[in-house]
Amino acid sequence: MSEQAIVGTNAPRVDVRDKATGQAQYAADIQLPGMLYGKVVRCWEHAHARVKRLDLSAAAASPGVVRVIGPKDVTPKRYNSSVLDLMVSESMHDMLGDIDDQPIFTEHVKFQGDAICGIIARSEEAAERAAAKIVVEYEPLPVYLTAEASRAPGAVQFTPEKPGNLAFQLPEPMFPNHALGGGDVEGAMRDADIVVEDAFYVPKQKQCQMEPHAYVAKVDSGGRLTCWTSSQMPKLVQRKLAKLFDLPMNLVKIVPTVIGGGFGTRLGMISEPQACAMALAVPGHPVKLQTLREEDWVISPSRHPGKYWMKIGFKRDGTPVACDARFENYKGGYYLDASGTAFTAGAWLGGMYRFPTLRYRGESYFTNQGLTGAYRGYGNPQTNFVLEQLIDRGCAELGADPVEWRKKWHKGVGDDGWCPGVTYPSCALDQCLDRGAAAIGWTEKRRKYARQEGTIRRGVGVAVMNHTSGAMPMLLEHTACTVKLNEDATAEILFACSDMGQGSHTALKQIAAETLGFPFDHVQLSGGTSDVAGFDIGAHASRTIYVGGAAVKKACEEARRQLLERASLQLGVPADQLDIRDKRIFVKADPARGIEAEAITRAGVYHFVDPMTGEPGGVPGQIQGYVSFFAPHNSPPFGASFAEVEVDTETGEVRVIELVNAHDIGRAINPAAVEGQLEGGIQQGLGFVLSEEIDYDAKGRVQNNSFTDYKMFGPEDMPRITTILVEDADPIGPFGAKSVGESGLVSPVGAVANAIFHAIGIQFTEAPITPEKVLKGILEKGVRDYASIRGNR
Amino acid sequence: MSSRTLPEFDLLLPQSIPEAVELLATHGGRITVMAGGTDVMVALKFSQQPAQLPEYVMSLEYVPGLAYVLYDPAKGLRVGAKATVADLLESPDVKQHYRSLWDAAQVFATGQVRNTATVLGNLLRASPAGDCSCAIYAIGGTVAFQGRAGRREVDIDDFWISYGQTARQPDELAVELVLPPPAAGTHSAFRRLTRTSEDLAKLNVAVQLRMSGETCVEARVAMGCVAPTPLRLKQTEAQLCGKALTAEVLERAAAAVAGEISPIDDKRSTAEYRRQVSGVLLRRTIRQACGVA
Repeated sequence: MSEQAIVGTNAPRVDVRDKATGQAQYAADIQLPGMLYGKVVRCWEHAHARVKRLDLSAAAASPGVVRVIGPKDVTPKRYNSSVLDLMVSESMHDMLGDIDDQPIFTEHVKFQGDAICGIIARSEEAAERAAAKIVVEYEPLPVYLTAEASRAPGAVQFTPEKPGNLAFQLPEPMFPNHALGGGDVEGAMRDADIVVEDAFYVPKQKQCQMEPHAYVAKVDSGGRLTCWTSSQMPKLVQRKLAKLFDLPMNLVKIVPTVIGGGFGTRLGMISEPQACAMALAVPGHPVKLQTLREEDWVISPSRHPGKYWMKIGFKRDGTPVACDARFENYKGGYYLDASGTAFTAGAWLGGMYRFPTLRYRGESYFTNQGLTGAYRGYGNPQTNFVLEQLIDRGCAELGADPVEWRKKWHKGVGDDGWCPGVTYPSCALDQCLDRGAAAIGWTEKRRKYARQEGTIRRGVGVAVMNHTSGAMPMLLEHTACTVKLNEDATAEILFACSDMGQGSHTALKQIAAETLGFPFDHVQLSGGTSDVAGFDIGAHASRTIYVGGAAVKKACEEARRQLLERASLQLGVPADQLDIRDKRIFVKADPARGIEAEAITRAGVYHFVDPMTGEPGGVPGQIQGYVSFFAPHNSPPFGASFAEVEVDTETGEVRVIELVNAHDIGRAINPAAVEGQLEGGIQQGLGFVLSEEIDYDAKGRVQNNSFTDYKMFGPEDMPRITTILVEDADPIGPFGAKSVGESGLVSPVGAVANAIFHAIGIQFTEAPITPEKVLKGILEKGVRDYASIRGNR
Repeated sequence: MSSRTLPEFDLLLPQSIPEAVELLATHGGRITVMAGGTDVMVALKFSQQPAQLPEYVMSLEYVPGLAYVLYDPAKGLRVGAKATVADLLESPDVKQHYRSLWDAAQVFATGQVRNTATVLGNLLRASPAGDCSCAIYAIGGTVAFQGRAGRREVDIDDFWISYGQTARQPDELAVELVLPPPAAGTHSAFRRLTRTSEDLAKLNVAVQLRMSGETCVEARVAMGCVAPTPLRLKQTEAQLCGKALTAEVLERAAAAVAGEISPIDDKRSTAEYRRQVSGVLLRRTIRQACGVA
């Protein structure tokens, strides 16, 4: 491969000027003539109830109100706001058992904030005032906040389709005995010399994206429905809305708006069905629907919390012989994403170490908590919190160094990744571990902190992770991309996958410019409306660069091929002996010989036959490259995180001093953006392990749906961060790139937990590890030197 | 649930203190007084029940001459009703003579809120978690009210009645806080525990000690988030007075704390944890005041 001029540079972010100057237009900024304002009336007083009586009349008579719509005024069809069901084959869909169980307006409230009815008014204020006049009588139902409660005999059934409120378990026959893995786990465990086991709790964490959900929807005179939305998956939302409202897809148009952060919360739909139902009730008028932060909080899905039990067996020499695990997650009131996380949490577990026997069971139970769905990492942080702590407990028992043990037993090239039969094509985890250990001073600090005195104790910990680049082969991995060359040899690229703020469109532009041999600024990349852009499943599963980038590269290669072919005719040199740099096509062996790309693109568009001679002026036709691309692999990235913490043994407070994230990224298309992803991931990973959880009261009402009481790490809480980009090109990804969008969040979770273990000799099984839990642990168990643990003595 | 729109109310915009006092005399309890608005606006957006809503909001926006922070070595510190928390931070006198208050101001809420929220507003909010309230309680002082009948000064010790309730009468305007000048040998400190840096306290404590040589001759200790209002720990103070602040004395004082407080479980912490760490935080704050890290 020739040296790259644009890939690998810190090209400026394409969205930065608009966002920094306030010119970016989010859905909430949209103003259209004749616009009306929608308000969804929600049930705030109950998390589980039946609607006994709903009286819309007083609200309908309220000043400024145009329409009030309830359950009987909208389609009785139900939907599934997630899109997983669209990304699997029909047979797989039947096996997984995904269901459509969400009504637009409900008569059975299944979580606090469930939608009751909608108000359409001439102003937001009028809609608010009318909302207060809606009369609803509820019959309260028992509230189930855990799997134990909702599966108990006699519990109210959330849906007749899922008996026992078991929304999902790994299905036969793909997972014999409802388990992922293989081998005789129980037999191997009996033969183990050392067994570590515990029951953990993983928290309900919120994405906390900056932009609260907002929509505009409109039905035009031809009956065409347009929805402005910041969904991460505009094309799949188009299909979902078409299906829900019985419209052909050409009568549903999605206009993707600037996304103010996603992290999974926009994976699929949130309130698009309600916004569109309102628009359908007032044809000709755009309806804007905005959510409050506290409202967004309860209606959009969070990370899956739940109980996670695990048991690992080792031989005395450290050989792992068996891993047995069960993740019982607490869904919200509806099905969405019930299958996804229950599977992936086990998939990442299976992808990490060479366990000769493995049994993972994943189950999702309905509860009356808020909805659960996609959040950056998608099951992986949960597994990391559990697996990596138990590995370190095992290492402590064995007297093994946690870095050395991991280097010896992690999976690598040729091993099965998270999906059996799809092997790792690349793995630079050893380098991550070595470079990360050196950066944090692992050897010295492990020794130094193993014996300490005083009230303030320090510790260092490590954790590793594997993730994915797209979800092939479990899910559809399809991206269409068109590149067209303008007559002045600039390029326009149409690509439906959104940029959620992670810098993906910048990196994709770099890939396009590099492939075409055009300057960065002569390439335009547009998401485009559903009218214009080809198919793409959307931004999820850390796929945008790995899959989308490969599609952009292929489309650009096709355009480049045509360009070189035409140049070959002019220069009389075979196309494979030509190259393009800075829009100039030249002979590789004789760079002085060449032709400007513009001469070819212009002649293709402004094509004339010489009226004097009858000779055509070059090859006619605008050059366009097009690809409908299916990813052949998922080249998982690996990562190693190292944390140094300080534990105050009198208050239980944990301060993270340093966090090193060494990441096997294949190739950094835009190193600054990659570092940004890793740093942002650390912030959310630290929240998972130390500070973030959505709390409910006994009635299922959320207690902290605001930034006042839900505490993320802020700038002053963040540790010193070192990111190490380990670039060992993947043989499949575009320019060797693997994903980085989600994975930076994952291993900081385990690393911090393990650093606490190293500091005070106690492991904590419930995340987040708050000072209250740490102090309780210290008072119950006592601080002990890491060196005093059995294997280390 | 909050609302994106404010409920309806009449906005009163007096141009002077007498005019403000006149409005209060006329409408009294139907008025919510607003200076920085960081508490009032939040309350309005969250209280959609008609019974909880004020008929009038009286903004001090156009009342001149209340944004001062003035120090006089003989009379002490005067903080006007419109002085913000950020104004305290800009005063070298506050930093030098009322260190605990300056430290509390420095961690108070966030930069944006500090620029808007007023010191008196923090006292009048009568939340047990107020950081400035805690520091001021330990310093001691008076709050001055202006009514039709004239000026009334209330000792800070008598200022908080219950959660959200102060000694201010509905027809009075709180005009200033007056803190006495520190006597020779005075040391003060403030500390708190939070979930993350930018947060309301889960526990805060302030101490003001007057030392004569090695001996503590006077002590005021205030703790927040452990009762319905900020709390003065008088038994703990008694453990310190007249003694050299040795490790043993500090341990006894720390042990006394748990008997004086009545914390609860809430969103930010638990009663159990607050009991467990209150003594630790007190000990550390005293050591900080004495310049022993």
